[in-house]
Amino acid sequence: MADIVNLFEVEPGQTIRLHSDATAEVVSNPRDGVWLFVRYLTSPDDPEQVGAEDMVFAQDVVELLTD
Amino acid sequence: MAITFQPSAYSGLVDQDNGMVSREIFVNADIYAEEQERIFTRAWLFVGHESQIAKPGDFFVSSMGEESVILCRDRQGEIHVFLNSCMHRGMKVCRYDEGNTPIFTCPYHGWSFATDGALVGVPFYKDAYHEELDKSQWGLIRVPRMTNYKGGIWATWDENAPDFLEYIGDFRTYLDILFDGWDGAEGGTEVIGGIEKWLVPSNWKFPAENFIGDRYHNISHRSVDLVGIGPSGQGRRDTRERDNARALDISFPERGHGTIVFLRPADAQPVPSYQNDPVIADYFYQSEIARKERQGELWRILGGPGTIFPNMSYLPRQPRSIAVWHPRGPDQTEVWRWFLVDSAAPPEVKEFLRQYYIRYSGPSGLTEQDDMENWNYAHAASRGAMARRHHYNYQMGMGHAVTDFEDGGLRIPGTVLDVTKARAGEQNQRSFYTRWADFMAARDWDELAGWRRGNGSGSTC
Repeated sequence: MADIVNLFEVEPGQTIRLHSDATAEVVSNPRDGVWLFVRYLTSPDDPEQVGAEDMVFAQDVVELLTD
Repeated sequence: MAITFQPSAYSGLVDQDNGMVSREIFVNADIYAEEQERIFTRAWLFVGHESQIAKPGDFFVSSMGEESVILCRDRQGEIHVFLNSCMHRGMKVCRYDEGNTPIFTCPYHGWSFATDGALVGVPFYKDAYHEELDKSQWGLIRVPRMTNYKGGIWATWDENAPDFLEYIGDFRTYLDILFDGWDGAEGGTEVIGGIEKWLVPSNWKFPAENFIGDRYHNISHRSVDLVGIGPSGQGRRDTRERDNARALDISFPERGHGTIVFLRPADAQPVPSYQNDPVIADYFYQSEIARKERQGELWRILGGPGTIFPNMSYLPRQPRSIAVWHPRGPDQTEVWRWFLVDSAAPPEVKEFLRQYYIRYSGPSGLTEQDDMENWNYAHAASRGAMARRHHYNYQMGMGHAVTDFEDGGLRIPGTVLDVTKARAGEQNQRSFYTRWADFMAARDWDELAGWRRGNGSGSTC
């Protein structure tokens, strides 16, 4: 199991993997430790999400894929 | 045992005919609770200054009565005031004093709101709520009425309240002295430094009535006059602009606002001030000349301390500042003080004023310390079972105010008590408590807007 991601340290441009197994690029970080603004790169459950922007909740972030 | 007051009882607590006010209105917890409902949900309240939220995403957490509110500018540049309470479980969604943010996130369960108040983030929205939650119905509670008057942001919870300009009426003449530039140009002020905040163990009405026009307490400040905290060590203000001026107490009993004013003679000319520093002295002297040219006869009106009912007070000249007396229970007031300067003033003028403001006002200010001591001990000495049986006396100058005051062709708006010879009066305080009783008894704004029916505007208390 991956370590808990500290959202305060996530930077725009980095890639994350989500609970749904989707991956997303971080667009911006409000630095509240709770949410990230992202753009979906892959989304096995819902392919139509790819390219869409969304807010992602901290507990839905499984791991950071890029440093 | 708690005392329950019926609306009709409030006129008895404020005895206008005899110039007396019951101590109960300062110390009684039931009356305090009623004030929150009857006054602070209906009156226009000062929330902050436009310059505090200059950029999209800027926010300032303020207060309306006991309620925490967020003053913010959204991404489109529009200004809003929201109740600072999450719609899910009521947690404060913003616990910072001020800052810049794209969203307000509740730390309890994570609901988050955009700067326009919209609910934009709901954890587990898809899995737990099954996308069935109607987010459009659960945005932050927006304070329904808000206005930006010359940079000052005011708001009211009451959708039926009159427009702000109707609320202040002809008091606008005096409020403009605070928000206009020193040269008389419309608006043009900004907040300098942080907002000073501190607690005073006193009911909120003590400072509100003090600032509405209590010249009688000048003896309390004799020590700062002797010390000479003015910029050149002369008195408190370091200016001779009040010399030979008439002293007027001005109030609007039908609205509750009031102020001290000094009226210069018709042939008065600008006088130099702050002459220890040529840059400072020149700025204010040139500004005075420009103001005189711009305002004509109105230039003769020198503003003094004032109060906009219920709890915003200000000093329009020096030290130029705004205070809000936030109620924090019957026995405690949280004071917030904003300091204003001309936006266009040179940096050395702003710094000069900042130093002077700190020396004069706020918890570190020598003059304000005098006031706090008075309010603190007056309140404490009024709480006892015996003490509260006896009314305060507000009889000074009763029956001597007029509503048609004129000097050298200049008509002075409001109910005016000329205290040039008397040196003090309590007409402004009587007006304040008359309005307080109106608010406590009235059912709605149809009753409160008595001026629409021609009621009250001629009252001289």
